[in-house]
This record gives sequence, C-alpha cells and structure tokens, in this order.
Amino acid sequence: MSFAERMLKIDRRIIFVVIGLCTLLPLLYPVGLPIKISQEVRGVYDHIESLPERSVFLLSLDFDPASKPELYPQAVAILRHAFKKNLRVVAMTLWVSGTGMADELLTRVANESGKQRGSDYIFLGWSPGGTAVIINMGQDLYNAFPSDYGGKPTKGQPVLEGVSSLKDVTYAVSLGAGNPGVEAWYVFGKDKYKFELGGGCTGVIAPGLYPLLRSGQINGLIGGLRGAAEYESLIGQKGRAVAGMDAQSATHVAIIVLVGLCNIFYFTLRRQARQQGSQS
Amino acid sequence: MDATIIGAWVATGLTLFIFSFLYKDNPLFKLAENLYVGVSVGYTIVKTYDTVIVHLIWKPIVENQEWTLLIPVTIGLLMLTRYVPKAAWLSRYAFAFIVGVGAGLAIPRTVSSFILKQIEDTVRPLLMLVPGDGVTFSWNLMNPASSVNVIIVLIGVSSVLFYFFFSVEHSGPGKMVARTGVLFLMIAFGAAFGYTVMARMSLLIGRLTDLIEYSDPSYGRPTLWLALGTIGTLIVLSRRSRSEPPEGG
Repeated sequence: MSFAERMLKIDRRIIFVVIGLCTLLPLLYPVGLPIKISQEVRGVYDHIESLPERSVFLLSLDFDPASKPELYPQAVAILRHAFKKNLRVVAMTLWVSGTGMADELLTRVANESGKQRGSDYIFLGWSPGGTAVIINMGQDLYNAFPSDYGGKPTKGQPVLEGVSSLKDVTYAVSLGAGNPGVEAWYVFGKDKYKFELGGGCTGVIAPGLYPLLRSGQINGLIGGLRGAAEYESLIGQKGRAVAGMDAQSATHVAIIVLVGLCNIFYFTLRRQARQQGSQS
Repeated sequence: MDATIIGAWVATGLTLFIFSFLYKDNPLFKLAENLYVGVSVGYTIVKTYDTVIVHLIWKPIVENQEWTLLIPVTIGLLMLTRYVPKAAWLSRYAFAFIVGVGAGLAIPRTVSSFILKQIEDTVRPLLMLVPGDGVTFSWNLMNPASSVNVIIVLIGVSSVLFYFFFSVEHSGPGKMVARTGVLFLMIAFGAAFGYTVMARMSLLIGRLTDLIEYSDPSYGRPTLWLALGTIGTLIVLSRRSRSEPPEGG
C-alpha cells in the first residue's frame, strides 16, 4: 500500500484529534489575531449608534440552547451596546425552547449595565403562533403579549410608554437560528409595518440571508461567531466570541490543509492507476 | 451544593458523553442523546402549557371573562377529533381555517419579499448618475452595488435559471450558458459549505470553552474527573465487547 493510499484510509479519529487540538490549543494559549470589521456587521452597529436615547429597540432572540455558542455572544454584545446607548429594550423570542435562556441572558446583561426591568427593559417571553405573532404584534402588541415573562401585565409598564404596536418600534434585530427568524421578521414585520430591521444568525443560514442584505431588505447582518467577535470589537468589550477567533482560524487552516492533502493524495493515486493501466 | 456547580458537572458530563461518540457508539452517548431529547420535549410541553393554557386561555376566560376566546379554543379542540374516527370529519374545519388563514397571510407577503424585491435588486441600472461626475460605471468589486457587480449578479441569475430550464437541450451556446450557471452554483455551494464548517467549529469552540472553564478548582474540576471517568468507561466497554463471543458464533 502506497503512502497516498494509507493517508486516504487513515482512521477518522486521528482527524478528530487534529481538529480537537487545533481548537483547544488556541483557546488555552491565545495569539490575538486581528479581527477585521465587515460592512454587514457595521450596518447593525452604526444604526444602533445613530438611535437617540430612549428609542424603542426590539430584540427577538429566535434561537435555543443548540445555537448558544454562536448567537449568545451576539445577543450579549448587542444588548450591551443598546443599554450603553440608553435605549428601551423590548426582548422576546419566537422559539419556545429558548425562553429560559433568553430571560437569563437579558437579566444578566441588564444587571451588569445597571438597568431596571419594567422601566429600561422588558422580556415579553414567548407566544404561540410563530410568524402569526409578528402580525399580531403589528396590530396590537398588548394583544400578542398581555403579560411579560414574569406574568406582569405589559400595559402600563414605563418601558412600553407610547408603544402600541410594531409601528412604534424604532429598530428591530432578530437573532435567528432558523425559522421563524430573520426572514419571518422581514416578511411579516418590516415589509408590512415599515420599521428598520437588522439580523444576526448562525453561520449555517448566513449565506441564505445575504440576498436580503444586498437588496437592503435588512440593514446589517451578524453572521455566526465571527460576526459576534466583530461586534464585540466594535463596542470595545471583548468576550467569548473574540476569545474563540484564534481557535476558529486555526481549525479553518487545519481543514484547508486537510482538504488540500486529500486532493493531492487522490490525484497521485489516480495518476498511478493511469500509469499502471498504460503499462499493462 | 450550589446549583451552578451541579449545573457545571451535568453540562460537562453530558458534553463528554456526546463527544465519546467520536470514538464509537456507546451507552454513555445514548444516555446523553436520549436525555437531550427527553428534556427538550419536556421543557417545550411545560412552557407551552404554562403560556398557552394557563396565561392565554384559562386566566383571561376565568379571571377577565373574555368569552370570545372560546371561539379559537373550540376551533383548536376540533383538531383533537382526529382521534375519534366517527367525529374525525370535524377536524377538517379546523384544518381548513388554519390552511386558509396561513396561505392568505403568507402568499402575498412571500411574493412581495422574496420575488418582487429580489427581482428589483437583480435588475438594477448598469450606469449611475453621480452629481458632478455625470453618468459613471463603477468597477469596484468590493462594493455590492457597483456596476460590475450588477452585471455579475445578472449573469449569475440568468445562467443558473437557464441551467434549470430543461425544455431546451444544453448544446452549443446553450451549453456554455448552462456551464456558467453550474460555475455560479458551485461557488454558492462552496460559500454555504464554508459557512457550515465555520458554524460547526463555533459549536465545538463553545463546548471546549465551557470545558476549560469547568476545569477550574472552584467547580471541583468536573472536566478532569468526568473525562477520566468517560475514558475509563469506554476502555471497560471496549474490553467487554472484545471478550464477548460474536453473535451466532
């Protein structure tokens, strides 16, 4: 068996170990590779930066713990930015399995920023209906969410003063891991009720959302852990996403090298087979 | 014991059990997998019951006398008649209502958002009128709205659509157009795969970051002890499976 053949039949567990080490070592010994800010992430940042104080900022945390590594750091960075800008944060989720995590996240960042529930922010929780909830909120927010996550009536809470429907929202961002997510917020929200919309998503669905970004249907897109790292850099509060970027780069290099090597071995074997065929 | 520490031990253990599948399928992986499914379903049922039945139905009807809510409740209950063969026909009214409302809401919005708006963006003007510079043609590849990118998008959309047009044989000039379409498709698949790899690696980074955090003495070093326990269990299971005679032997 030639070297190329042995390499192509290598035990897959060796590749797992290589990828594992390429991820683990940069996490233990960070290098601090530079992070370039993309226009799509800057779109969300610049818009939040341009909002006047006490504007109504809707954050829909449309993900569950399965997408936590990518979307949780995005949510933390955006919330820190919104609280720093003194915006009124209205948070909610369209994913029932993400309610507990969303509440924990919001409470943690709000406490860290010294914000009060009810006056500076509110967590509406989850309401059944998926995309229908967005339409319902566009007609009457209090009908879609009569009470907040803690069971307190939403009507009369200072944070929602002057807000009766989605038309009163200044800016909305959906952090989506699938459907319902960013697309649903555009189709049933922005397109109908005409508020500005930004998006954040997992890496898997990011390519599918670029058409919405390029056509201006959303004004910014934070894609995966990389997008979260860019946002953390923009607000100057580096967290888990920035810490993970060295590992991300190292694993990408490892995968590129592995793909390259596999192709070299494959073409070597094919050439050998052709040569043997022509000799016989 | 602090709930955070218990959480750290549970999270570490389940992460390592799931990772053990990379070695081979084993009972620890099965335990974590089944637990994940069970907990997810249980959580969803409890949250749905609390939000829908208690907060959106029971309390408004009993405490606020909002009797109009009985209409959607009745339509919803008609769904359950599927389980009674003689009354199953009643569920068709509920389904008809849902399909009708759903389609009515979704079709115009989807057409507007994904077809009309996207067509509008695909056929942008090739030349731009810049105040002071007159009519210009922008060659900047990095600007998505530049004239050269508009041409690339137009070629890409047209060639990919032609590739999926099977009524005409892809030969001669048509073959070249179809091949261009395939090229654009391959680039799109490559970009999608690249993002998928990035996403999967992000998940690995997330779990490893937690494992590193939980190796701290303040948590009782669950990463260290549970990793040793998992490896030990895998060794024992591997030896036991080797010593057992093969089935049918």
